[in-house]
Amino acid sequence: MAVYRRSYRPYSGTLTKEWSRFLVLFRYSRRNLFRSRFLTGLFVLCFFYPIACLVMIYLANSASFLAKLGLPPEFITIDNSFFFHLMSVQGVLAFLMTAFAGPGLISPDLANGALPLYFCRPFSRAEYVLGKSSVLGILLSEITWVPGVILFIIQASFAGTGWARNNLWIVGSLILGSLIWIAILSMLAMALSAWVKWRIVAGALLLAVMFFGAGFAQAVNAVLRIDAGHFFDIGYLMAVVWTSLFQKENDLAISAGQAWIAILLYCSVCLWLLMRKVRAYEVVR
Amino acid sequence: MNDRIIFEDVSKFYGEILGVNRVNLSIPPGITSLVGPNGSGKTTLMNLMTGLVKPSRGRIQVLGIKTDDPERLFKIVGYSTQFDAFPRGLTGFQFIYSYLSLSGIPTQEAERTAWEAIQRVNLVDAASRKIGAYSKGMRQRIRLAQALAHNPKVMVLDEPLNGLDPLARAEMIALFRASAAAGSYVIISSHILHEVDVISDQVILLSNGYVVAEGQIQTVRNEIQEHPTQILIRCDRPRELAAKLFESEYMIEASIHKDDRGVLLKTKDADRFYLALNQLALNGIQIESIAPADDDVLSVYEYLIGNEEVVR
Repeated sequence: MAVYRRSYRPYSGTLTKEWSRFLVLFRYSRRNLFRSRFLTGLFVLCFFYPIACLVMIYLANSASFLAKLGLPPEFITIDNSFFFHLMSVQGVLAFLMTAFAGPGLISPDLANGALPLYFCRPFSRAEYVLGKSSVLGILLSEITWVPGVILFIIQASFAGTGWARNNLWIVGSLILGSLIWIAILSMLAMALSAWVKWRIVAGALLLAVMFFGAGFAQAVNAVLRIDAGHFFDIGYLMAVVWTSLFQKENDLAISAGQAWIAILLYCSVCLWLLMRKVRAYEVVR
Repeated sequence: MNDRIIFEDVSKFYGEILGVNRVNLSIPPGITSLVGPNGSGKTTLMNLMTGLVKPSRGRIQVLGIKTDDPERLFKIVGYSTQFDAFPRGLTGFQFIYSYLSLSGIPTQEAERTAWEAIQRVNLVDAASRKIGAYSKGMRQRIRLAQALAHNPKVMVLDEPLNGLDPLARAEMIALFRASAAAGSYVIISSHILHEVDVISDQVILLSNGYVVAEGQIQTVRNEIQEHPTQILIRCDRPRELAAKLFESEYMIEASIHKDDRGVLLKTKDADRFYLALNQLALNGIQIESIAPADDDVLSVYEYLIGNEEVVR
């Protein structure tokens, strides 16, 4: 073996900015995700509904084309309900995407004991979690609020500044509604995968939390004759938040404020669980 | 002292489980080996040194840098962990390169430095293959490469010789020696005592979370008073020599070596015995060699810790 007899000479050049190092994890993890044909296919599928919405926006702004089809101009209305439906469909797809992509981000590192390798660098636990969650954050943004905002801009360009000014709040609702959904999904997926350390089980567990949570909520409400069971149903809580953000009329059992608090609480618990597991070393008793 | 790795009254408890207790160490440059049975606290000591776990009590400084300052600490520290832990799908080069990027080294420099480290561990031919296809020895080498890629002043290597064939071990030992000769601090944990003996400048013996001995192996041996020093004298007439040697007041016990070509003796004061040996009239007995028989790590380890866990 070549042994270089040299004096100690550490790297003395400039380092990249601390804040940007989490992007190394993002780059590698994202590339790894798209090695899966299934996930790539699912990602493409996520754009079918926004493309359909694009066609609807075009039709809604083409009165002559609708007339040719024998349809009235108000047949398609682009308003808060239109974007609420877009949000609902993309939200479900985002959930499916998370169930397949999320658990594989952290569990392999934990199962293989790779965390000491990460943390024996100038790299913190918070940066690690940020790097991994940014993969989901950006991926889910690409299928939720980004197409929503693009569709809003296209509609605004067709309908004029008056429509855009009156409906600008929808952009805020799209972004805020998506971000809170992305946050709860990412945190849940990563916390579960960190605790079970097994990718497939973590994915199944995420599905179980959402579906069994809804069933459990119904059971609690029916048995105890209360509405508080809805706090166990994350899907219901998100529906309350989105309904409120998109100013939709509703007869939901809990208030938007309560739903916000519950979701933030879920996020905090997931983050706490995650930080308990993401350590360089774990003592197994 | 900014030129040493210092542990001041350091204890680490994992809940009720003892990691290490009341450790006081001052580690100088060179090759230092941590020796002890499983669960004695070797890896905990390394994790404390690299800031991966925080001490429950006490203070640690690595060349004057506190271990809770990773931005400064990991410029001078490289750590090779005990476990095979590689992100899926990476080639050897990508593995080194990605961790250099995490250390904040810019793209071009990281690429150059990664190749240099791969050359040092002699893995150039396999660098573009996926780590998943590496042999155990190759994985050990690539792990070592990531620890030394940024030319750290302090290298902390957990069981670095495990899984290596004799040739590769010799190469790695040469690498450690070269680093130590260049002024680096090479901290090694190992179960293989005869290798530790060969490569170490100093040893730290651990048992049940306590440091039981620290320093150069001969110095440690001399301080173990309850076990007399053993000396092997090779000669042509061992029986006559043994009879003569009993004239010395420092002699405790003598036995003829099993090959009948030497005397194995025990003395309570080796230095004085050597002086007295010169004055003994040996009546023409041909002495071939005189060498201490138990000032190696294995003997010291057995005297201090017991031989239950010794791997020979």
